[in-house]
Amino acid sequence: MELNFVSVEGNSKNYKIAVGVLAGLFLLGLICYAISYYEGHYLFGSSNVIPWGMPIVVLIYFIGLSAGSLILSTLVYVFGQEKYKPIGRMAVMLAIALIFGALVAIAVDLGRPENFWRLFMFFYWNNMTSMFAINGILYSGYFIISIAYLGIILSGNKVWMKRWGCLAIGWAAMVHMGTGAIFGFMAAREAWFTPIKPLEFLTAAVTSGVALLIVVLILTMKFTGRDLRKDMVISLSRLLIVFICILALLIFLDKMTHLYAPERAAVLYSLTGHYAWVFWVLQIGLVVVLPLAILFNKKLRTIKWIFIASLSVVVGVFFERFFLVIPQAGFPQQYYPGHIEGVYGAVGQFAFTPVETLVSLGIISMVVLLFLLGLKFMKALPEKTPEEIAAAAAKIATPKTEEALKTDIPAGPLVVENKPS
Amino acid sequence: MARWGMIIDLDKCTGCQECTIACKEENNVPHGSPEEQRRRQDPYWHKVIAASEGEYPTAIIEMVPMPCMHCDNPACVMVCPCKATYRRNDGVIMQNFRRCIGCKYCMVACPYGARAYNYREQEDLPYNRIDPPLRRDLIGAWPFPHRAHGMVEKCTFCFHRIEKALMEGQQIGTEVVPACVEACPAHARTFGDLDDPDSEVSILLSNRTSIILREAMGTKPKVHYLTK
Amino acid sequence: MKQEPDTQSNGESPTLGSKDNNRRKKQREGKSGRLLLSRRAFLGVSAAATAALTAGYALKRPDVNFLSPSGNIYEEFTEEWISTSCLNCPTRCATRVKVQNGNAVRIAGNTLSKVSDGKTCPRCKIGLQVLYDHNRIQTPMKRNNPEKGKGVDPKWTPVPWGDALVEVSSKLKSLRDSGQPHKLLILDGLNSSSNDDLIKRFSLAFGTPNLITGDALDDEAAKAGEWMADGHYTLSAYDLEKTNYILSFGASIIESQKPLARNLRMWGKIRRERAIRAKVVVIDPRYSVTAAKADKWIPIKPGTDAALAMSIANVIISEGLYDSEFISNWTNGFEEYKNLALSQYSPESVAVITGIDADVIRQIAREFAESKPAIAWRGRGATCWPNGSYASYAIFCLNALVGSIDIPGGVIYQEYPEYKEMPAIVKDTIAETGNSKDAIDLRGKGKFKAAKVVTNQVADSIIENTLYPIEMAIGFNSNFNMLAPGTERWNEAMAKVPFYVHISPSFTEVSEYADIVLPACTLLEDWAYEHCPPGSGFTEVKIKQPVVNKLHESRTLGDIIFNIAGEIGGSVAQSFENIGDSAEGFVKYRTENLISWNDFRTNGVLVGPDYEFYKYDSIFETPSKKFEFYSGNLEALLKSSSSSTIQRIACLPHYTEPEFEGDEGGYPLNLVTYQPALNIESGSQNYPWAQEIYLVMHGYGWNNFVEINKETADELKIKDMDQVWIESPLGKIKAKARVFQGIHPEVVAIARGQGHYYDGEWSNEMGVNPNDITGVHYDELSGQSAFFNTRVRVYKA
Repeated sequence: MELNFVSVEGNSKNYKIAVGVLAGLFLLGLICYAISYYEGHYLFGSSNVIPWGMPIVVLIYFIGLSAGSLILSTLVYVFGQEKYKPIGRMAVMLAIALIFGALVAIAVDLGRPENFWRLFMFFYWNNMTSMFAINGILYSGYFIISIAYLGIILSGNKVWMKRWGCLAIGWAAMVHMGTGAIFGFMAAREAWFTPIKPLEFLTAAVTSGVALLIVVLILTMKFTGRDLRKDMVISLSRLLIVFICILALLIFLDKMTHLYAPERAAVLYSLTGHYAWVFWVLQIGLVVVLPLAILFNKKLRTIKWIFIASLSVVVGVFFERFFLVIPQAGFPQQYYPGHIEGVYGAVGQFAFTPVETLVSLGIISMVVLLFLLGLKFMKALPEKTPEEIAAAAAKIATPKTEEALKTDIPAGPLVVENKPS
Repeated sequence: MARWGMIIDLDKCTGCQECTIACKEENNVPHGSPEEQRRRQDPYWHKVIAASEGEYPTAIIEMVPMPCMHCDNPACVMVCPCKATYRRNDGVIMQNFRRCIGCKYCMVACPYGARAYNYREQEDLPYNRIDPPLRRDLIGAWPFPHRAHGMVEKCTFCFHRIEKALMEGQQIGTEVVPACVEACPAHARTFGDLDDPDSEVSILLSNRTSIILREAMGTKPKVHYLTK
Repeated sequence: MKQEPDTQSNGESPTLGSKDNNRRKKQREGKSGRLLLSRRAFLGVSAAATAALTAGYALKRPDVNFLSPSGNIYEEFTEEWISTSCLNCPTRCATRVKVQNGNAVRIAGNTLSKVSDGKTCPRCKIGLQVLYDHNRIQTPMKRNNPEKGKGVDPKWTPVPWGDALVEVSSKLKSLRDSGQPHKLLILDGLNSSSNDDLIKRFSLAFGTPNLITGDALDDEAAKAGEWMADGHYTLSAYDLEKTNYILSFGASIIESQKPLARNLRMWGKIRRERAIRAKVVVIDPRYSVTAAKADKWIPIKPGTDAALAMSIANVIISEGLYDSEFISNWTNGFEEYKNLALSQYSPESVAVITGIDADVIRQIAREFAESKPAIAWRGRGATCWPNGSYASYAIFCLNALVGSIDIPGGVIYQEYPEYKEMPAIVKDTIAETGNSKDAIDLRGKGKFKAAKVVTNQVADSIIENTLYPIEMAIGFNSNFNMLAPGTERWNEAMAKVPFYVHISPSFTEVSEYADIVLPACTLLEDWAYEHCPPGSGFTEVKIKQPVVNKLHESRTLGDIIFNIAGEIGGSVAQSFENIGDSAEGFVKYRTENLISWNDFRTNGVLVGPDYEFYKYDSIFETPSKKFEFYSGNLEALLKSSSSSTIQRIACLPHYTEPEFEGDEGGYPLNLVTYQPALNIESGSQNYPWAQEIYLVMHGYGWNNFVEINKETADELKIKDMDQVWIESPLGKIKAKARVFQGIHPEVVAIARGQGHYYDGEWSNEMGVNPNDITGVHYDELSGQSAFFNTRVRVYKA
């Protein structure tokens, strides 16, 4: 079916409040970043034991979401799944906003950001065995490819959409597997070292990407007065079930491998020690248990519950990244046989400092803000059907109740009472 | 080409930690504070760890001084994106402050916890060394330039002493050694060319049982420990 | 067919599809239809790029061309090495200091010194932080708050040197003029040898017997034990270089035992630099650093070292392993000693007392006797007890038993430099009268018959006005308010002293009670000569000379004494004439017969002649002129001070059960304290390099802990790092518990050196001072303060 894409007006009160709040948070984050730039990273919670903190968590989370969104958009443009067409452009736009946020997060984490250009001296001044250097090529290429991808989509060239889409999906997969390799190739960090990490990251990316897409879709459609297209949502949720299951399997395999190795203290501590609740409650609970419990339940196949399940996955995958970067890095390394006394043998601690939290919130707000601005200045949403316009008008005349929103919307043209013939 | 290594004799070592203090003195490494130690943000280039095993009355505690291991197969060099850390021909793993972007990948990769990050600006202290500039084309980055925050630093085998000795024709290993080796009162530390069969380090390695830390990592550290 | 975006009308507000945008877009397209940048856009982009690049360079970046920490390029650069010596512990190692542009930047050992082969201990390098300590007294200060107490702000105001000296000397003068010079108390802490000589001279010239050193906190019982055997009231020196076996009774040889640098160097030498590797066995209730590095650790019930020593003697004698030649030719009283050891100290009975298996006792005894030359080293852990002198005697006798007296690898006798003699002290009648009075620490009298000084008694004597009240006190680098057991009494005592003058480089706890503080130079700005405490045998003289210009308005301690003496005038001033007239002059005067001044200043150290062994016909200063297992010296002393008959056992080495502070029921655990290597003995601990790595065995700094055995902790339901109260009959302190496998189950240990409150930012409010709750007991023969006989109870806070 042919779709016309439009941009949102951006005049509604909700929109303005959202933009205002996000811009405020972004500015606050910017100020905090400036403070940390001049003062030093002692304002962050990272340490010599847990060197990476919230900015890196935000970074890998956003890369995952971005790659996931982009891969899903190729469902439309490469695999020709027409039923997902309404969300195609939104997915690509989301992917670009997210990768931009990720690149900003890298810059925030660097100790000497004015040297950031050194990350782009490929093969000349870069050591290409480093996953960061390889990822430098992958991330910058991905940024360019996804912008070009959006351009091609906006221009409507179907042949190039498919070709470029193939490139995009392959590149996106490599991007996030590359991110996983940053961690998975580290022999010194016992809890990270496994070849499954790239695949686990890719699966988490697609899972969180689907979930984010569902969440964004529902929210955007609701706040712009469009139909919630339940069939597409349910179809996406079925995809989500598949990916959650694969992700759960990969996590399971990863942990079991480590637990079988005699040198298992670090992984065992992460699963049963002080911070194990982050894993069991926030990662497994929010990513696997809660969503599957909802999605497998036929009775809960409603927009609201799918929304809850997807939101749970989105938040849970954030904590999956957090658990990887922070608690799993904290276990002391076994420099010498025996128990190492004192600070060098103590489990690392991570403090949630205000500066770091606000900077991370700033980056997240920036991404959401970019998305909202993109909705306004780019034609990303499908044109409203006459029924939706009428419904919006009716809404202004007679206030719609919450009940009406929750009811099952059958497929097919909307039947409006008292429709003028 | 020499291949510099260090021997630490755990039987002679007295656990006094003079090596740690000498390194701070030589390289102007800032001292920490109680807050920084609690948050593990204190700077150090050299540490002495205590590894305990067993129970009373047969408990034992081994004190192990740990500089940077200057591995022949370094994990940190492999992951530095900007070539800020690299292996010199003579085996010293260098740390170029100018190139470092502070990404901390090397800290993550090091199996020995040898690296520390500068979390804040440090004040100049009257007992910090000032030295006239040597030729940069010869020695590259100086170990203790103005310490800005945001960079990773680590033990350098006092490469500035090695360079100066090579320029002035002094014997490295006997006349000129790193600060920790020079300071050790028990003469527990030795420094020299591992590829020279006549050097003291080679002779010690051939005569005594030695171990390297975390051998299974495959990093081939060039700091060897002679056991009791 | 999808419509072109720019012609779409959608009823929404104009966006990209408006006509205006169309026109602008057409203008931008060049002939080929590609988008070109307009000139304005190009300029805009360039400007932005330039701005960005400029901003990038303007932001702070590390510039490796500048080599000074602050980024300055130094136009001039001077560098020199100056020989001097250390004073962060009594070992006083010879050092060389590198000075760049007038700042001291590095301290290394003086390779010409033979005591430690040119090496130093870790405390030596802390000297840089001692010199540049922010907590230094900058000018003389006068107290403005008449109230004195712990935590009471003295309200210091700066006064000029002249005024301060005038006030101090006039008070001293008036004390003399009223015929009461003996009411001056001199607290002599850790000072250079030359300053000790000057202080002693001052006390005699002034007329006060109350010169109190801190020796009775450390060594007096150890000294008394040797005195009983061979007449030398001294710590023992050992020829470590050639010894093959060290049996350490509570001696932290490589942690705090002086001379520490020598011990550290010799440790390396005797372990792996000779054909025979020396074996070291450590007997200590706590797994000290020495025990960790030794070959065997034997935990012992505290206070029972004498029994163990006698039992070892029992085994050696009963198995005929003793050096019969030495015993028969050069000892006296062996028969009585033998009978005592064999009859009362069988390994089985001693096993019950000490908690060490009889088999283990036999094994060490045999090893000790058969690994010649062997030394039995008595440390504070064995001697700082109420029965400490006899424990010291018992352990010292083991050396004689195996013939390790004045032989290579055995006990040797420290030689001292023969400085140029000073002219006789001019003592007027006031001084003579004053000197004839008894000292308030009751040395040599009543309780403390053999004691040369009873440091800790002074606090009680001041409080109770024992013998006579003290009117004035001067403290030279002393800080007994932290170092002595029962610190509360010292606070009370120092608050009571009407006028206290404190002389040291930085503020410490005792200075809180001062009426005047005078800033003295630190070790790196001072003029002095030093010689080592017992250790090397051969003598070595070291110089102390300023390596930098004096900081702030400090003056050398020697100059201060010369100034005060000069101001007092009379016979006191006369006693200080013709000996150099200044600290520098004094050092030159005293050493000019030993070495030329130029050589001394350049080399920094003068090594004495090689040590000669086997001086049996001259070395024993006993009635029999031999090594005495039955102490004739002690017998004579006891007889002279009491008319009742002396029991034989009182002059033999033996074990008596020590008294404890606190009963076993209420206070089930025994508190021992120890001194880590990085404890600076100047009384201040305001040094970050030392503080951040303070406890190497526990991997923590900036703190100390109460170390508890794991089983004991489990019984008390205490986990690692819990806050606990440690309570003795004297009071209680709160600290973190450290569950530790290296400690006897009935013992808890706390490292000394923390718990400061009037020091600097790097030591105040950190850790606890165990001396606060340590009971006040003495070894009565020697006046030694007991440190390890306090019982405590530990419970969660």
